[in-house]
Amino acid sequence: MEEADLIRSARFRAEREGDWRRLEALVTQAETRGLHRMEFATARDLAALYRQATTSLAIAREISLDRALLDYLEALTARAYLSVYAPQERIGGVFHRFFTRSGPQAMRRSWPFLLIGFLCMGLGGLTGYLLYFENASWFYVFMPPELSGGRDPAASTDYLRSVIYDQNPASSGLSAFAAYLFSHNTRIAIFIFGLGAFLCAPAILLTFYNGLIVGVFLALHVDRGLGLDLVGWLSIHGVTELSAICIACAGGVQLGAAVLFPGDLRRAEALRLAGRDAVKLAIIAAIMLVAAALLEGFARQLVQSLEARLALGWGVGALWLLWVLVAGRRAQ
Amino acid sequence: MSAGATRDLLDRTDRLMSPEGVPIRFEVAGLGARFGAQLADIVLSSLAAIALVVALTFSGLSSPQTLVAVTAMVFLFIRIPYYVLSELAWNGQTIGKRFMQIKVVSNDGGALTTHALVVRNLMKEAEIFLPGTLVLTLSTQTPVLSLIALAWVIGVLLVPILNKRSRRLGDLIAGTYVVHLPKPILLADLAQAPPPEPDGTQTFVFLTHHLDHYGIYELQTLEQILRARDRALSGAAAERRAATDAQIVEKIRRKIDFADAVPPEDHERFLRAFYNAQRAHLEQRQLFGDQRTDKYHKFHKQAGPAD
Repeated sequence: MEEADLIRSARFRAEREGDWRRLEALVTQAETRGLHRMEFATARDLAALYRQATTSLAIAREISLDRALLDYLEALTARAYLSVYAPQERIGGVFHRFFTRSGPQAMRRSWPFLLIGFLCMGLGGLTGYLLYFENASWFYVFMPPELSGGRDPAASTDYLRSVIYDQNPASSGLSAFAAYLFSHNTRIAIFIFGLGAFLCAPAILLTFYNGLIVGVFLALHVDRGLGLDLVGWLSIHGVTELSAICIACAGGVQLGAAVLFPGDLRRAEALRLAGRDAVKLAIIAAIMLVAAALLEGFARQLVQSLEARLALGWGVGALWLLWVLVAGRRAQ
Repeated sequence: MSAGATRDLLDRTDRLMSPEGVPIRFEVAGLGARFGAQLADIVLSSLAAIALVVALTFSGLSSPQTLVAVTAMVFLFIRIPYYVLSELAWNGQTIGKRFMQIKVVSNDGGALTTHALVVRNLMKEAEIFLPGTLVLTLSTQTPVLSLIALAWVIGVLLVPILNKRSRRLGDLIAGTYVVHLPKPILLADLAQAPPPEPDGTQTFVFLTHHLDHYGIYELQTLEQILRARDRALSGAAAERRAATDAQIVEKIRRKIDFADAVPPEDHERFLRAFYNAQRAHLEQRQLFGDQRTDKYHKFHKQAGPAD
């Protein structure tokens, strides 16, 4: 059929079909090989042809009643849109940006929530500590037996000391305990963060409860005259680990607060906004937990003197603090 | 529930405003496809993790303690980091999502941000893995805990069922949703296809009063029927199709007052010619601002501007 004989929308299609076919080929190429591996000219053509196709789609919606053409153009532009607007950042760049800028900035922005997180843990610890001295059987209420590993009020002082200063870790199964604690606390942190979105209460309670465990555990050792030794044993990784749990709690509370007190925004919107910082807190908490696990797994058995343990634990804590306070500040 | 509301619920398409200002249509992925993708991901990543651990065990290079630590790390990795990194690298797709041909998109029309991907996968831990583990470990000895777990599971499952784009909680916070990847297939233009060889001398000419009866809906139904003809049929099926054609032609002739009789061998030519003429006419009317959605367009007009 001669071109002049065609109806308007068929002519429209005949004039542009070649470009659409080329766009289709480029989109397939971008999807299989990745946009950043395409040559400059090809990538430029993809963007240009995509914009042409969106125009074609807008016109076709107005002038064409050909269902097949409309469906094709809808699918083609959607596919091209996904290729053109794919995230362009390399994974390495994402990590770099997080550590040098966005992570510490988020921490500084959410200091009130961090305060709440640390307060929950601290008050929990204090309560547990005081309750133990009121009645030692509170220990069994708070401490899950699989976590204490036999270190309860019934254990002898010598046994408690032997666990703290263990010269031969391979025979004691402590590394298994370490691995367990690692996954236990990681899960606790994740729970605390996730629970925050379901209003604040569960996150706060769980952090408080975690504080209780630490409190009664400490009280048990103080009771036996091993208080400072336990602090040394705990702080080598605990400074990092317990801070991580408090930070996860801060993130969860931030989400919960957005749901409870959305202000002038709609709740979903407030939750979305709060999520920007809360998620960064959660990631920082996760990184700190991994670091704590490494410290626990390797440093605790290698470093046996009390002073060195305290110095290492709090030294690492100070490094975290320094990172949060200093990194990512813009030059004025 | 009104008919309109029912149609809205069944309609799975959604329009996303692109930065170019042209809304792009996507089909929202159903819960089945997403569940399938999730299941595939869990199975594949667990298999990979187990394979790695077994390989390490048999290589004998590492002591039992490091093996425990490595196992813990690997199983931690296949929970959140795997999903975040794969969705980052493959633009909103994990391996499971690639199988199911679905993809995460950002509902503001921009590119997916790292933040959004992290959020939606972090919430997955609280939404899917946690209730999943709870359901698997439910026991009759702790009825209160079981009830809480059950309520949680139901609550979390209700979120994607109750909202329009099947978004789970993580999607709501991240501002994303999951769509089917559309497949661009360009079918031939019916108005461009060469007409069948003319048997007789008769050509069909349609006048304006013939073409004022039908609307877009009927036109596109006819398009579907004509496209289905491309498949060759034989025997009884071919006879049935001829009978259907005869009925359609008869119906159209009566509706539009087309006086000339159409012999059976000309049925297809008649339908194609009518399709072309009707489409040209309706497209022209549409250009002049008179969009005729279906054959009741005259009544719509009398009732005033449709909403």
